[in-house]
Order: sequence, then C-alpha cells, then structure tokens
Amino acid sequence: MTYDDYLDGKPVVVTAALTGGIHGKEANPNLPETPEEIAEAAAACEAAGASVLHLHAREANGERAFSTERFQTVTDAVRAATDDVIVQHSTGGTGAPTELRAEPLRTDPAPDMASLDMGPMNRGQHLTSENTRATVAALHEEMRERGIKPEVEVFNDGHLNEVLAVADDLAAPPSITLILGPGTLSVPSPRSLLHLVDHLPEGAEFTTLGFGRHQLPLTTLSVLLGGHVRVGLEDNVYYRRGELAESNAQLVERAVRIVEEFGRPLATTDEAREILGV
Amino acid sequence: MAERCQHLDYRREGDGKAFEVARAYCTVADRFVQPVTADICNARYDLDPTEHCEIYLDHHGVDGEESAGGTSDSDSVGDGEDGRKGSDP
Repeated sequence: MTYDDYLDGKPVVVTAALTGGIHGKEANPNLPETPEEIAEAAAACEAAGASVLHLHAREANGERAFSTERFQTVTDAVRAATDDVIVQHSTGGTGAPTELRAEPLRTDPAPDMASLDMGPMNRGQHLTSENTRATVAALHEEMRERGIKPEVEVFNDGHLNEVLAVADDLAAPPSITLILGPGTLSVPSPRSLLHLVDHLPEGAEFTTLGFGRHQLPLTTLSVLLGGHVRVGLEDNVYYRRGELAESNAQLVERAVRIVEEFGRPLATTDEAREILGV
Repeated sequence: MAERCQHLDYRREGDGKAFEVARAYCTVADRFVQPVTADICNARYDLDPTEHCEIYLDHHGVDGEESAGGTSDSDSVGDGEDGRKGSDP
C-alpha cells in the first residue's frame, strides 16, 4: 500500500474496536460492556460506516471474559443487530493462558477474522503480555484450521521482523494492524508510522491504530498513505482533550469524515472482504 | 496459590460513580479498578496481587522503585499524562 493508493482512490476500511479488555465503564461510562450494549454500538458503527467490528467479551460486572460461550453471546447479538459486517474476535489477553485465549476462535460460526498479537508488550511495572512465538503459532494454526483470517497486530517495529519471518504462512494479503502509543508500542509519531509502512511485507494491507490523542492524527496520515483505520473506545476513550467520547459511533463518524474529505471512498463490507482477503 | 487481594471489594457505588452491577473496587486506591486489574485482584490466571499489583506493592512498601502516581491502572498503555488509553488490542 502506498501514496499511489491514496491518489488512486482506493477504498478505506474502517474498523471499530468497541469494547476492549483493559478499561471499562470506570474510564468512560459510554463504553459498551454487555452483549446488548455491544450489539447496539455495533449497529451504530455499521450505520456510521465501519465494515469491521473488533470484539471482546465481558462478564456482567465488566470483567474480562474469554470463554467461547461468552463470545458466542456477544457475536450472536452483534450479527443479529447488524446487516453485513466483518466480525473480528480478539485473542488478546494479558496474563491469560493460551488455551483460554483460543476460545474466541471456537464460536459458531467462526469469526471472519481474529487478532494475532506478534509479540510481547509490557503493562505497568510488573506485567507483560507475553505472546511467545509458541503462543502465536498455536493461535495462528487454529485460525488456519477454522478458516479465520488473522488480523496481525504489530505492537512495535520488532514485531515486523516476526511478521516477515512467517509472511509466507499468512493468507494473502497479510492484514496488518500497526499500533502506535506509549510504552512498548511503536513511538506514536508520523515518522514512526512512515517507518513501519516502509517495512511492511510485500502486498500487505495495513490498518493504523493510534492510542488516545494519537488516534486522530495517525488516522489522518493512514488515509494519506493508502492505509486503513481503526478507531473506537477500546483504544481511545476521549473525543478531544478532556472530553470523553459519547460513543464508538462518534469516533467512527469522525474517521469517515476524514476519509471522505481526503477523497478516498469508504469501503463497503463487500469491498472490505475483497481488500482484506476475508 | 495466590489468594484474592485483601483490599478488593465489590461495590455498586464509590469514587463518584455508580453501576448497576457491583464492580471491583480497590479500598487502598479508593476507586474502581480496570477489568484487567480485577483479574490481578482476584488472583486469576496465575496473577498475584502481591507480585503484579503496583497499588498493593506500593501500599505495603514492597515496591521501592514505584514512582509517584504509578498504579496498576495507570500503566504503560493506560491513562497517560495526555489521556491515552490502551488495551489488549
């Protein structure tokens, strides 16, 4: 993907990350946690232009849930509330064992896509989301068996080395999410995003995910660089400094305005399936 | 095996917030904690509050390197000085 893709008017795929697994309503009361709330947010984001929905599951008290049963409830509710979206389940889970993190892959039907974290990420002073190569391989193998397209998550440029090492095993085209933010994530800057894009595997499609206040500028840059974008309350609970976002749809609507202002068409779900190889 | 944190409580109200379902509340920090932190509080998945929770370690004087304001909830991908939020993306 290149600047030529921008000039050529390649459609932009907008992903909405609705819930996440780290913060909850204690951070923003508008963040959906129950299956009903997630489904309502999903429908609003689809109406606003998102074609991919990145899903996590929660318990009734907002705590993390990994079980197939809980994901089934969420994904059923989302599919019932939406017309035609690409359903993407998270397999992330700091501290959780690999076997538990594979459970979101086992819903019926299987998700269209699922996240595949390519390496470790520190969390605070005493915790690391390890994502060993063995974990990555096990999750990837189960995705292949179930026909699930990996959404390859690159937390920093070292993880691009990991992607390049397995690029031949990834279903074409590799669909890579470049994640920029604090800590062990890629440094959140335009230059950093340019560097990451320059080192993508041949033929890869990339989606840019900037945390917090970096979401808006890096979304904009991604559109210019021929990439796709991911927004939502999982990654950013604010609309602007000091002002909590009202909803996931509010963030999607802003991203869509940017896409359209820069003259790239918004991808329909059918186009998104073709572009991402789902 | 680690035990649930002695400072964990489940409350519907506190810290100026109210919820329909009782949520994990840290009685040391006097606020509701993030869902991922609640897994530490509950000692799930081999997580241990006496090893992994910065609030606990700071409160019990175990974590000598703990910086001011550092808690399990404002970690490397949590709220930053600029309001950044993060997750297991």
